[in-house]
Amino acid sequence: MGAREHKAQEISCRKSAPCAEGALDPLAGLSLKDDRLRAALEGRAYLVFDGAMGTMLQSRGLEAGELPELLNLAHPDEVTAIHRAYVEAGSDVVTTNTFGANARKLGDAASVDEVFAAAIQAARASGARYVAADIGPTGALLEPLGTLSFEEAYGLFKEQVVAAEHHGADLVLVETMADLLEAKAAVLAARENTNLPVFATMTFGEDGRTFLGTTPEIAATVLSGLGVQAVGINCSLGPDALAPLIERMAPFARCPLMVQANAGLPQIVEGRTVYGITPEDYAASVACMVEAGVSVIGGCCGTNPDYIRLLARLVEGRTPGARTAADALTVASSQRLVELACCRNDVAVIGERINPTGKKRLKEALRAGDYDYLIGEAVSQQEAGADILDVNVGLPELDEPVVLAEAVRRISAITPLPLQVDSSDVAAVEAAVRTYAGKPLINSVNGKRESLGTVLPVAKKYGCAVVGLTLDEDGIPSTAEGRYAIAERIVAEAERRGIPRCDVAIDCLVMAASTNQKEAREILRAVSLVKERLGVKTVLGVSNVSFGLPQRELVNATFLAAAFGAGLDLPILNPLSQRYMDTVSAYRVLNAQDEGAAGFIEAYAVWNDPYKAGAAGVSATGGSQGVTARDSGASAAVDDAKGAEEDDRSAEARARHAILTGRKADMTVLTEELLSQREPLSVINEVFIPVLDEVGAKFESGAFFLPQLMSSAEAVKVGFDVVKHASTSGAAVADKGTVALATVKGDIHDIGKNIVKMLLENYGYEVVDLGRDVDPQKVVDTVRERDIKLVGLSALMTTTVRGMEETIALLRQEVPDVTVFVGGAVLTPEYARMVGADYYAKDAAESARLAGEFFSGTA
Amino acid sequence: MALACHVDRSETLRYLGYRGQELTEELEGRIDGVIERCERDLRPDGLFAVYPVSAPASPGALQEVPRLELAGANMVLEGASICEHLRGAREVALMAVTLGARSEQELRRLSALDPLEALVYDAACSSFVEAAADALEDEVVRYADACGMVTNGRFSPGYGDFPLEAQPSIVRTLRADIRLGLTVLPTHLLLPTKSITSVLGLFDVLPSRHEENEACASCALRATCEMRKRGVVCHGRTRT
Repeated sequence: MGAREHKAQEISCRKSAPCAEGALDPLAGLSLKDDRLRAALEGRAYLVFDGAMGTMLQSRGLEAGELPELLNLAHPDEVTAIHRAYVEAGSDVVTTNTFGANARKLGDAASVDEVFAAAIQAARASGARYVAADIGPTGALLEPLGTLSFEEAYGLFKEQVVAAEHHGADLVLVETMADLLEAKAAVLAARENTNLPVFATMTFGEDGRTFLGTTPEIAATVLSGLGVQAVGINCSLGPDALAPLIERMAPFARCPLMVQANAGLPQIVEGRTVYGITPEDYAASVACMVEAGVSVIGGCCGTNPDYIRLLARLVEGRTPGARTAADALTVASSQRLVELACCRNDVAVIGERINPTGKKRLKEALRAGDYDYLIGEAVSQQEAGADILDVNVGLPELDEPVVLAEAVRRISAITPLPLQVDSSDVAAVEAAVRTYAGKPLINSVNGKRESLGTVLPVAKKYGCAVVGLTLDEDGIPSTAEGRYAIAERIVAEAERRGIPRCDVAIDCLVMAASTNQKEAREILRAVSLVKERLGVKTVLGVSNVSFGLPQRELVNATFLAAAFGAGLDLPILNPLSQRYMDTVSAYRVLNAQDEGAAGFIEAYAVWNDPYKAGAAGVSATGGSQGVTARDSGASAAVDDAKGAEEDDRSAEARARHAILTGRKADMTVLTEELLSQREPLSVINEVFIPVLDEVGAKFESGAFFLPQLMSSAEAVKVGFDVVKHASTSGAAVADKGTVALATVKGDIHDIGKNIVKMLLENYGYEVVDLGRDVDPQKVVDTVRERDIKLVGLSALMTTTVRGMEETIALLRQEVPDVTVFVGGAVLTPEYARMVGADYYAKDAAESARLAGEFFSGTA
Repeated sequence: MALACHVDRSETLRYLGYRGQELTEELEGRIDGVIERCERDLRPDGLFAVYPVSAPASPGALQEVPRLELAGANMVLEGASICEHLRGAREVALMAVTLGARSEQELRRLSALDPLEALVYDAACSSFVEAAADALEDEVVRYADACGMVTNGRFSPGYGDFPLEAQPSIVRTLRADIRLGLTVLPTHLLLPTKSITSVLGLFDVLPSRHEENEACASCALRATCEMRKRGVVCHGRTRT
């Protein structure tokens, strides 16, 4: 479900109180310079910032590419002169010349502390009323796309904000952020290490998203949830292009709105970048944004005191009107927002499959650190239509804070769906939500004093939504009224702690109808009571109701429909069950979420009703169903085309053909047939591997090119999975040895390594994939921990072969009995010897051959 | 600026090592699907800036690395190959193109879910970003033409002895970090990976020494380059 645009003013939610109004002073604990600043932060006064610093410095002779921050030290008077020009034009706030003054960008040129000291002094000397310490992006991309960790980014920002407060800045301005997680690191660094108010703005492109895909709605939701004092947009585009973006942001901002636009779109004139909007046009556009509720204004690239003068005049003697944030439960990843407005009845599905309770394979995967399995579960639920994914990794033997945070990071790198962080371990919840790029839903708090006292502070600090369970020290009440009473207490306690009521969703706790039959109706009544009297959204783990009964899906789907009728908003269920999703799709017509029933008609117009005799039983809805249908369709077509003559050939011959032609859709059935004739090990060793060898030889001779090799590998993988599941000994069926693979430190190109991994797994080796940009020590630790004897390293660039050399050197020193093979575009046999490797693998097929020789030689 | 360009299908196949092998319809369909998605989802973006040459290659001591300074940019271009490439140039254009973070996100996603499509997507993106660089180069040519100048081919860090270390200063000078979302790793690799920075010379008259494939002649990969073996080049297009 996408973001829904609406005007906050038009929303009237009869039964729910406005978000957290009057509950807590949101400015408590901050050091505010004066009452004027307090008024501005409460949205009762306008605040005029300054315009561009870089543009002004360049007009005074700063060269492109120079570090402008060093001028604070070399020419503080020049910097002060620019600040003064803005003050004279009417700026209340001047922004220090410290945009890139972090340790990473300054390097050895100067220390962060001395630059901030000089910059703040230069700003102060202008006579400005307030000095904002400017904090720009680190200049490095954060994990998982980049290589900078959240904590490293946090460390860089911390150094800056501590210096800013120490040297007397009045507030912190985090600006020009494109990465929501980086903005979060900066905001947290300021909140945790200073008492300064924090303003945060991000930069958006013409598509209305940041470089990393965040929308204005999401930026406002997440940053204002983190407790910034003003949120907004800077740089990006001209003010007219920013106006619609700030309008989208407004309903989601629980704090004053800020805009610092560029003086138009950059254009290249005579080989230089120039910005074309006049101060008059600029001010006219900003005037519209002020009408839309913006109360903190200023300029960015291309603006100068002429622009600011007109802005100051614009708001002189005026007071901003009151703004109200939308009353809605919101949950967001960095790229997707799920919004359930109080005044609507939309429902959102929470996928339940990433929870090890009762799931053998997931337990195995978690114990083995196989996050790819979790990712597979996440993607299949996304394709089946889930809106939010629950992530629970609760196994007693795991270090839950570490594993939950890692699982959340890995899953959110692959799927855009927002996550529900599910754990009873508060430390695990905090570890996961802290580094989550978005606003997660915490599952859960309950009515117990201890739970309220530990979970709610985490939800508040990180701006999360939270699920409240209706149980307390006395257990789960059996009546609707009893459950309601706990819900009421949870909501009241959340509000008391500054969490808006709309950020709380209540789970009235489903009991099994087989054991607590009378409670089923009480649960539904409790849902209705909570909805009507508290005005909050509701959650239910639907499938518990059928425990102990036959045909559980039938019971669950019926209960789901009843619960929707009672007011359920967020069912937690298995979205891979078509029956549940059919109920969801149909209900979305009834609650008017599926406008004009367009989605329903598209998906169900040609639906084969499974209850009608002769129906194929395959539904037309849902992404994953679509994929399945397409795959089986393709395989059916192949079967039809080849006809009966194919059936005469042995299963082995047909499997061989399927592998050689990369027809993975046929492999499940073929492998099952093979398994009816042979031992699992024989299927692998006598069918799969000889064909793989043949594929390798074809690749070698040039008869196959790489995608063909890989589509054969895909087909084998399908077969391999069937063998694994079928055999009682599980994964051990083809335990031929373990290989660790890594793309070395400093290198991020891992396509080649991934191909090697796929092929080695095909041959029955267990592969421990350490990923890319892997620290040498991590390779050593893993090899030791898991007693691995063969390591494959890849590096694509000449500059990163050094990382390879270092890794090998450390391996030689720490675990001398390890054998290392290397590969990558720039490597040659000579080069491989030079960096100290034992073997050079020129491609994936060669890697498989090397592993074969290695393990047969040592086995 | 937005750049109008397309993925070159046959170039993508060449990157994948295709030499006329017979493809199943299914595999061909998947490859084409990935190429289509690449074009549909990504918006190549780029920018350039032009600077006069302020100090041509300094005649220092023999061992000294040749260098060239640009006026108005706090930037020195180092190395014999880039100085040779720009010898006689009146002005120098710095340029950067990228397929954006979206390409990187999709590569990450595919790497985790579908290595075959990840491989194809990577190749399609390589072709796409080259096409984007061509399109941006056209803009530079247009600019030069308007000033009565001509350009030579683009030359990127990593060619010859023009060090990858130039990458951060090009990004900084162009403010490509803020304006395109480019970042540079400590190992001087660009992120998003599907990005290119280049340097072009602007001349009153194109010197005759500029030959095709000069980048190959001085490339560190020339011994192992798969593309050269197939008779194609990775840089720019064949110039007429």
